[in-house]
Amino acid sequence: MAASMWKDKGQMVFEEQWPLMRPTILKLLRQEPVSRAEWHELFWSVHMVCLWDEKSHAKMYKALQDDILEFIKQAQTRVLTHEEDQSLLRAYISEWRKFFTQCSYLPMPFFQLETALQGKTHNSVQKKPQQNTDDSLVRKLMLDSWNSSIFSNIKNRLQDSAMKLVHAERNGEAFDSQLVIGVRESYVNLCSNSEDKLTIYMENFEKAYIDSTEAFYKLKAPQYLEINGVQNYMRYAESKLREEEQRANKYLESCSIATLNGCCVNVLVTAFKETILAECSSMIKQDETEKLRMMFRLMDRVSDGIAPMLKYLEDHIIHAGLADMMVAAELITQDSEKYVERLLTLFNQFSLLVKEAFDDDPRFLTARDKAYKHVVNDTSVFRLDLPTRLPGPGSSGGVKTQPESRCPELLANFCDMLLRKTPLSKKLTSDEIESKLKDVLLVLKYVQNKDVFMRFHKAHLTRRLILDTSADSEKEENMVEWLREVGMPADYVHKLARMFQDIKISEDLNQQFKEEYRKTKGSIADSINIKILNAGAWARGSDRVTVSLPLELEDYIPEVEDFYRKKHSGRKLQWHHHMSNGTIQFANSVGRFDLDVTTFQMAVLFAWNERPQEKISLENLRLATELPDAELRRTLWLWFFQSLVAFPKLKRQLLICHPEVQSPRDFTENTVFAVNQDFSLIKNGKVQKRGKINLIGRLQLSTEKSKEEENEGIVQLRILRTQEAIVKILKMRKQISNAQLQTELVEILKNLFIPSKKMIKEQVEWLIEHRYMKRSEKDINTFIYLA
Amino acid sequence: MADDIDMEKPVEKSTVSNDCVVKSEKMFSLKRWNAVAMWSWDVECEICAICRVQVMDACLRCQAENRNDKEQEECVVIWGECNHSFHNCCMKLWVKQNNRCPLCQQEWSVQRIGK
Repeated sequence: MAASMWKDKGQMVFEEQWPLMRPTILKLLRQEPVSRAEWHELFWSVHMVCLWDEKSHAKMYKALQDDILEFIKQAQTRVLTHEEDQSLLRAYISEWRKFFTQCSYLPMPFFQLETALQGKTHNSVQKKPQQNTDDSLVRKLMLDSWNSSIFSNIKNRLQDSAMKLVHAERNGEAFDSQLVIGVRESYVNLCSNSEDKLTIYMENFEKAYIDSTEAFYKLKAPQYLEINGVQNYMRYAESKLREEEQRANKYLESCSIATLNGCCVNVLVTAFKETILAECSSMIKQDETEKLRMMFRLMDRVSDGIAPMLKYLEDHIIHAGLADMMVAAELITQDSEKYVERLLTLFNQFSLLVKEAFDDDPRFLTARDKAYKHVVNDTSVFRLDLPTRLPGPGSSGGVKTQPESRCPELLANFCDMLLRKTPLSKKLTSDEIESKLKDVLLVLKYVQNKDVFMRFHKAHLTRRLILDTSADSEKEENMVEWLREVGMPADYVHKLARMFQDIKISEDLNQQFKEEYRKTKGSIADSINIKILNAGAWARGSDRVTVSLPLELEDYIPEVEDFYRKKHSGRKLQWHHHMSNGTIQFANSVGRFDLDVTTFQMAVLFAWNERPQEKISLENLRLATELPDAELRRTLWLWFFQSLVAFPKLKRQLLICHPEVQSPRDFTENTVFAVNQDFSLIKNGKVQKRGKINLIGRLQLSTEKSKEEENEGIVQLRILRTQEAIVKILKMRKQISNAQLQTELVEILKNLFIPSKKMIKEQVEWLIEHRYMKRSEKDINTFIYLA
Repeated sequence: MADDIDMEKPVEKSTVSNDCVVKSEKMFSLKRWNAVAMWSWDVECEICAICRVQVMDACLRCQAENRNDKEQEECVVIWGECNHSFHNCCMKLWVKQNNRCPLCQQEWSVQRIGK
């Protein structure tokens, strides 16, 4: 056959060849078997025609189109004979699948034609490598023809049928999901535009699917809510969201799933947001974590859904927390251990809620922190009154009080109980103490006035080191490290570390002192220990109190000073007798007792040595000891108070006063004191002739005077810190707006305290007045640094 | 009344025996005393004029170099004949540039170094 064509090459014109080609083309369209010879023949014919008859290109294309259209018309007729939806779909899908398969085969023989047709505008050589079946002209012709003749006619019916099926499925009827999938595939594949294959699908199928989904739930959801209530509805919404997502995975292209989900969330959740959220508060109160979890998952998909939940959580924590503290107020204000335990129980309770209900979502953790901070810093249960203004730099007289939470003080007290040798610390194991200390640090994180904690903690540490009452020195030093880790200011932590260093140096010095005097004056070496400490690390200015030491003590002073001068030069010593203490022996008619006492107590008791039987008036004691009045009263009061409250085993008081008093202020000039000669220790109901008793109690390291100054000191330090920080910021920024200054200031100082707006304003004014900075001439809310 | 009895009775009863005690030992006698004192540099001005840090603390340079506490203990004070005092570390660097006291401009000569 090929040979005959070669002979008739002059006659290779379209009109003659087409009738030969056509049967094969029709067979191909109908998916009838085509022999290898016929298939090759078709290629050959197209090639020859294109080669010999230039005018034939358009004619061939037209003829091909006619045949395709004719075939499609027949297919349409076949499809439309089906009335019922499912069979219509089935018929369409089968026709379409066949046709679509042919879209890949039929264009192949016409490659030559396509090249010729495109050759008019493009260089065929360049075009060739890019040629593939997808952008073939013939394929496009086939798809476009299908689209315009059959598809546009019945697409609405197809779509509707498909949606009806989906609807039926939503109502629980089973059917062949392939039908819907088939329709969707025809939408996608039909697109001959290779740039955006999904156009037809998106405009028709996707839109119809989403619309019908929305319509379905717009009707169903409110009904369900009304009948079953919010809590069941949440479960319903959640399961439907999941179900629709699965369905969408089956019936939609992957690009549509997000859109569909968005639509479902809108119609199932957003529409009922308020109703659902209204349940949130009571669920939190009743700790219904399971339901809250569900609400969280739903609301997390809605814009602004979480914010109200956060608010409810915060409100709950604040209310529940404060209510809890109020109920236990009486107990916890007395007992710092109970207080810290209470706070921790609350914290753990709230944390558990956040974990179980909200999966430790960072937004809820933040809300917990914010609310817990409120509880910790609340001033309604306990307050610490600080003067807001002080005479001195940066303030202008007039003292008002501004309450703050006493939480940091109680935390510091609890730390002291754990670190000191106390019944509590003896009862606990090392690990338990450690975990409790960590608990304290956890609460401390939320405390705003950390500087108050720092002050009390340092005072307690000082007492422990001086009296040598630390339960565990390793733990003490660990605590310093932990304070550093939780972000306490470096210079503060450094000072604490220096105290440990210093106490060790002092111990060495004490050894040297003893060795030196053991040779010459043995009695001194035996009866005195010295602690000589670095004033920079330990002391506070106004702590010293005058006292006239008993001669027994006074004699040692020059010895120690001589020794120290030999060791060091350029140093001066100041005796801090309010910190020193000792043991004295008390002998009376009953027996002999060792008493641990403070140096002030010693000074008072030694006054009786010259006149053991006498009653001594308050005034005479003051003359003998030279203690300031307040300090003397406090020292005397300690016996009566302790014997009443702290030392029940001390059946009889060491000192007796007349008349009896209720508070240190009740001592008058005429009150007389005497030593109880019948004093004894009583153990198991028996009088003891020997024994040791500690009367130091909680050695008051801060003197009466400095205690009054304590709170003022905190405020004074805050003022200085604020000034310092303002200058630091300005030095760096040169120029800064008021708002930004406030923000940066809080950032710098928050590890110590939160500066109040008023204080910032006062310090800014003071700094302006003293020419550290000035206001900008253009804008009074901008500050400029003055070098 | 009860108080009076409590206070008077022992006095009368134990007068004799206690007199003996007083002669040999006092009613209260010292067994041990733990004395506490603070030391500081014996200076007129508590702040080093060179580094502006309190002389009781290590000088700025020693603090910045973050040396351990043992070494910082060595950051002592120096006095000039003019009685002005500074950190020894600060002064060592100062005299390399200018052999005068930063405060009074007198020629610098060391009176003593703290220990």
